[in-house]
Amino acid sequence: MDNEIISAIESKFPKEVLSSASEDKKILLTVKEIKFHQILSNLKDMGFDHLSDVALVDYINEGEFELIYHLWSHSKKIRAIVKTRIPRESPRIKSIIDLWIGAQIHEREGHEMFGVEFEGNPNLTPLFLEDWEELPPFRKDFDIREYVKREYYGEDKGYFG
Amino acid sequence: MSIFRPAAIMRNLFKKPMTLQFPYQSLPPVDGYRGRQLLDLEKCTGCPVCSLACPNKAIELVEVDEGKKYPQIHLGKCCFCGLCEEYCPRDAIHLTHEAMISIMDKSQALYTPDKLSQPVG
Amino acid sequence: MERTKGILAKSELEEREISFTTIPFGPQHPASGHVHVSLKCDGEEVVDLTFHPGYLHRGFERLMEYRNHAQNSMLVDRINVLDPFSCEMGYANVVEIAAGIEAPQRGKFIRTIMAELGRIQSHITWLGIMCMALGLDSGTRIAWGDREKIIRLNELATGGRIYPCYFIPGGVRRDLPQGFKEEALKALDYTENQVKLYDNLVFYNTTFVMRLENVGILRPDDAIAMGITGPNLRASGVVADVRKDEPYDAYPYVNFKVVSLEKGDAYSRALCRRGEIIESISIIRQLLERIPEGDFRVKWGLTKKVAKGEAYFCCEAARGEFCYHMVSDGSERPYRVKVRAPSFSQNLAAFPYLAKGAYIADIPAIYWSLDSCPADMDR
Repeated sequence: MDNEIISAIESKFPKEVLSSASEDKKILLTVKEIKFHQILSNLKDMGFDHLSDVALVDYINEGEFELIYHLWSHSKKIRAIVKTRIPRESPRIKSIIDLWIGAQIHEREGHEMFGVEFEGNPNLTPLFLEDWEELPPFRKDFDIREYVKREYYGEDKGYFG
Repeated sequence: MSIFRPAAIMRNLFKKPMTLQFPYQSLPPVDGYRGRQLLDLEKCTGCPVCSLACPNKAIELVEVDEGKKYPQIHLGKCCFCGLCEEYCPRDAIHLTHEAMISIMDKSQALYTPDKLSQPVG
Repeated sequence: MERTKGILAKSELEEREISFTTIPFGPQHPASGHVHVSLKCDGEEVVDLTFHPGYLHRGFERLMEYRNHAQNSMLVDRINVLDPFSCEMGYANVVEIAAGIEAPQRGKFIRTIMAELGRIQSHITWLGIMCMALGLDSGTRIAWGDREKIIRLNELATGGRIYPCYFIPGGVRRDLPQGFKEEALKALDYTENQVKLYDNLVFYNTTFVMRLENVGILRPDDAIAMGITGPNLRASGVVADVRKDEPYDAYPYVNFKVVSLEKGDAYSRALCRRGEIIESISIIRQLLERIPEGDFRVKWGLTKKVAKGEAYFCCEAARGEFCYHMVSDGSERPYRVKVRAPSFSQNLAAFPYLAKGAYIADIPAIYWSLDSCPADMDR
């Protein structure tokens, strides 16, 4: 069944699917950003009704962000992982909130932690951080140790020292 | 409902309470409880394995007389995971069952090699 | 009794702005946990709400990038305080997949036993808080007292009461002690007996039933669209359980049924958790019966490097799917770990949806029937 889904997607989007793999009820698709929304929408129509997670990885050396969408089908009991990459400079991608409502908060978290713009998401206000003016904290070029030393271990802030 | 039956009420009246009067009584910790560390100064060679293994950087090697280095533990940072005990090559550091180590003053949380090597009492 | 949802149009809201009251719910409220919700109320009815999480945000995903895999196994406990074993289970497994090692059979059995004990403990704690939210204080005291039996088992096996630090890539850190089986069976018998007491005192108590029945109805299609998992989804009639669908560790060797109910209201969510306590007890009994002898751990050093690549693992925590996505760059530290915590979707998607249009008095009931853990949500 896994291979059927992969071949269906590959025949529909021959140029956009960069690589695909399947093992033991898991599907892995790496796609181009340009058609990723259509591919996800197709997967949803195939029965992948549960969006488990949206993960972001900062590949600073390659200058790219990777977005990883974890899908699960309640009817077929198959997991699908769809990956796409966007440039690190001015990162923006189309929101998938129209496919899964649950994506809203995952995208909100991604915006807060990585600074990725999700076009079409109505509410991208910060979730966890208060009055944050630095770089988004989960980016690799944000130095968390330097920040902690400056904020909490400074000369006048003797509490932790 | 059975809880309002007289028999149940009588039974509950004579049951021992679930709780203990804490500062005066407490449950004894079991064998293998992970409490504060005990350092064996004779076995310790001053290698940095425990300080590298510590997830919270609570262990620091300090120089005690004769230029020998021993671990010093800041228990305020320690999470009592026991990785130092697990990775010690000489079996010199052990977690004891001493659990009552709450203090009012932060500076007392710093356990020097001397304080660490004192047996639990 | 069906209530209307998302009732007023925006312009109508603005028109009636003057008559709204804003009521803060948490973070100091006994029935909220560490979140702040401001409820905008029209009389008794909640028309809008803003959710302010972040009181427990510690940035675990980033902290893990600075520590090696053995140290991370100690750290992940803190993601979910009430259900630490599931967090450890996921991390140990995801590193095992990435590093290509496999825990010995006995280690897998011990892990599954402890994870199920953690599930019972988490559900009993939930029962206590649920009673506290509804004002059934005796339920709180009794449930939290019974939790101590399971905590004591944790202490016996792992050496830690709340934070076990027990599972490690390659198995568990120490073998089960002598006499653990007898102690565990005693505690399970006790818990099973106490469930009968909870039935009388809480689950079939008229107050409890009337406060929860037909409150916060979550329809299955909405629940799936919002990404709800675990007991909350199963109470809505969807049979989905990672333990059954993608069995890991020792779950292929046990028989159990997935508890699911039809209605999807707060009361069926409560009953679903009650059923899971019973199921978990039977799972642990089966596992204790069949636990094999042998090694419990393959030695896997602190500074072992993990090959470049990615791994993904999903396990069923007490609150739902708990997943790790780990990217390794070939060093001893992970390049990136993404944690999928179940309370994140529950709290931030389902709770605002259910709370809109509910009465203020129902808010604690709805909030706790979802069994959200703020620590789990903020991470």
